[in-house]
Amino acid sequence: MNRTEQQQKAQPPKSLTVMQRRWRKFKRLKRGYYSFLILLGAYILSFFLPLLVNNRAIAVRYNGEWYFPAVKQMLVENFLIGKLFGMNYFYSGKFFGQEDNPGECNYRRLKEEWEAEGSDNIVIMPPYPYGPIEDIGVEGNEPFMAPFETKDGSAPRLFGTDDRGRDVFARMAYGFFVSISFALILAFFEYAIGVPLGGMLGYFGGKFDIYMQRLIEIWSSLPTLFLIIIVASIVRPNFILLIILLSLVRWVGITTLMRAEFYREKAKDYVAAAVSIGVPTHKIMLKHILPNSLVPIITYFPFSIVAGIAALVGLDFLGFGLPPPTPSWGQMMSVGLQHLTKWWLVIVPLSAMFLTLLLVVFIGEAIREAFDPKVFSRLR
Amino acid sequence: MLYQYFLRRFLLTIPTFLGATIVVFFIVQLAPGGPLEQRIMQLQQAAAAEGGGGDVFGTTEIPPEAIEELKRFYGFDKPIYLRYLIWLGVYPRETDYQYLRPGKPKPVGEGVRLMVVKENGQYKLVNADDPSQPVEGWYIGKERERFGETVVEIYRKEFSGILTGNFGKSFVYQEPVLNLIKERIRISLQFGLIALILSYVICTYLGIQKALEHGTPFDLVTSILVFIGYSIPGWALGAVMLILFGGGSFWDVFPLGGFQSPDYESLSFFEKIWDRAYHAILPTLSYTISSFATLTVLMKNSLLENLSQDYIRTAFAKGLSEKRVIWLHALRNSVIPIAANIGFIIGVFVTGSYFIELVFNIDGFGKLSFEAILTRDYPIVFSFAVIAVLIKLFGAIFSDMVLAMVDPRIRFQ
Repeated sequence: MNRTEQQQKAQPPKSLTVMQRRWRKFKRLKRGYYSFLILLGAYILSFFLPLLVNNRAIAVRYNGEWYFPAVKQMLVENFLIGKLFGMNYFYSGKFFGQEDNPGECNYRRLKEEWEAEGSDNIVIMPPYPYGPIEDIGVEGNEPFMAPFETKDGSAPRLFGTDDRGRDVFARMAYGFFVSISFALILAFFEYAIGVPLGGMLGYFGGKFDIYMQRLIEIWSSLPTLFLIIIVASIVRPNFILLIILLSLVRWVGITTLMRAEFYREKAKDYVAAAVSIGVPTHKIMLKHILPNSLVPIITYFPFSIVAGIAALVGLDFLGFGLPPPTPSWGQMMSVGLQHLTKWWLVIVPLSAMFLTLLLVVFIGEAIREAFDPKVFSRLR
Repeated sequence: MLYQYFLRRFLLTIPTFLGATIVVFFIVQLAPGGPLEQRIMQLQQAAAAEGGGGDVFGTTEIPPEAIEELKRFYGFDKPIYLRYLIWLGVYPRETDYQYLRPGKPKPVGEGVRLMVVKENGQYKLVNADDPSQPVEGWYIGKERERFGETVVEIYRKEFSGILTGNFGKSFVYQEPVLNLIKERIRISLQFGLIALILSYVICTYLGIQKALEHGTPFDLVTSILVFIGYSIPGWALGAVMLILFGGGSFWDVFPLGGFQSPDYESLSFFEKIWDRAYHAILPTLSYTISSFATLTVLMKNSLLENLSQDYIRTAFAKGLSEKRVIWLHALRNSVIPIAANIGFIIGVFVTGSYFIELVFNIDGFGKLSFEAILTRDYPIVFSFAVIAVLIKLFGAIFSDMVLAMVDPRIRFQ
């Protein structure tokens, strides 16, 4: 072994940044890490739901031409790119030769018909051929089908159907996509208001801080959910309005947290040093204090997601959430409670919500453990 | 020092309370589709249904006098800031409207007859029997057309609003709101208080045990309960329990909801108690689960933290028994955070939860106020908001008082 090699060996391993160390710690906490992977995977998968669980065909070959209704639907609804190009995923039954059907094409029937005819035309259906919104208006859908019930040899309903003949499994799956997306967007707005505002309050203090504190006090003494219900009972809410309303309520939590954090950090020596060498204020806040305040920002995030999902489910349950027929867990539960003998109507959406929130809580616990470890020494 | 602090806190609630009521009042009042619009629409539909004088669109013109009167009934005849002040009770409310034809005396009660006369183009109110006596307590309002006649309205003034304890009369129930609330809050309180006590007893005990047996199988198993508590709202768990035990699909163990059986009055004393308890079990469990996870974890972490402190080491080193160290030294300091939480939790339990009351169909305060939103019964909506704000404000102060009580080291500034 020559010298240089020895020297290299003697060198300490490349030092890790705090974030890298925390990430490693997080990865070691198996429960949280796997929950994170599962949830991430499920959410990414849910973007492709129209290809997996849908009443529209993935691909149709008709008279030598190919059509992709489900793919288009995915691009329009889940990726929003399709909207920009004005894509239309609606094909009428007549278009594919179902002469008696001027409405949307019934691809399941189309497939049966073409297969019976033995024609060259092909329909490729998603693995689970039922959509979340189609109801008794489409033939083959009957209200209150039990789990695994089939009709006339069609694909079985995994979790049955609801009072309007809509497929419960499909609604549950799409409800997952809606809930998580809603909670993520809500959290984004919450942070977009709370982090800068809280940072400024904590850093500048003074009159601005005093007045805002009063406002926060008033805000947190309000029965906020009650007010949201009042507004929602007057204006039929949609996705965007609900996000606005709930962010108006939820900014308080993260603002208070950031205010305290900036207030504490501001008093530390490194900030004084930065001030004394003339670093401009916005740089001190963004480059010096903010990276040191990441712990509350990150540890708060999972709980903000839990709160967002729970709020959406609650509002949907009361009938003041997303407009029907949006697939949502809360709406499914409220239907279920009106039909107590049909147990799957409540149990399915509730289990979905429970498992989702459980995963988020596991992630949250692990993140907290990794970022803000509490060491309890036992003395006996 | 402490008294001064709390006095200041109480005084500070006044601007906060005013601010909060302003927000609530303006949001509700400025919203379209209020009770006035609803009522007018109902009248129009009723008139159209009778077939009298409806135009092609099925709408019927309502006489402007009627709309004027409706506006006054719902209090919409004044600008919003005045409505707010009247509602608070710091600006006089006009009551006891009477319509007087100019020159004709009319008895207005207490043996007094009043008359409106026109002098120099202005109306003046005089005592009809004895014009020399001044008229007290009555004021002249607008001149208006009623049934083809010119009349002058007169009214009394009175200060009555939430600050004087007048919460108004429900539009729907035609009853003072306070009476309604008193009735309903009793029901909500029964569940709330039992659940409050239950959650504190269970969570404290469980938290302590979990801290003492940190890392053992017991700790891990109960952690599952805690995670369930975190990931499922109380009302949703209530829905599951209804499905499981309500007799719809699985076991028929508990009633489907309600507060007591329909034949409650005919039961004997002990049967009554059992009946109430029987109806209360599932809702109470739902309430308890709402704060279960938070409280348990708070208790556990707080005790764990204290157990790793130096003073515990000292206590052990002195040779004190483990029981004494844990239950006297460590626990005393560990209950501080969960005691301080009480004010916030009370709020949830006293005002009830619309969710749980709706799931179990309990006619409590929460359900009353939720239904009031649907029927635009503004006096009830406002009252609920006011009470909720008050409970939150005083709950926070109460928490600090409890904190000062259990932790003598606390110095408030």
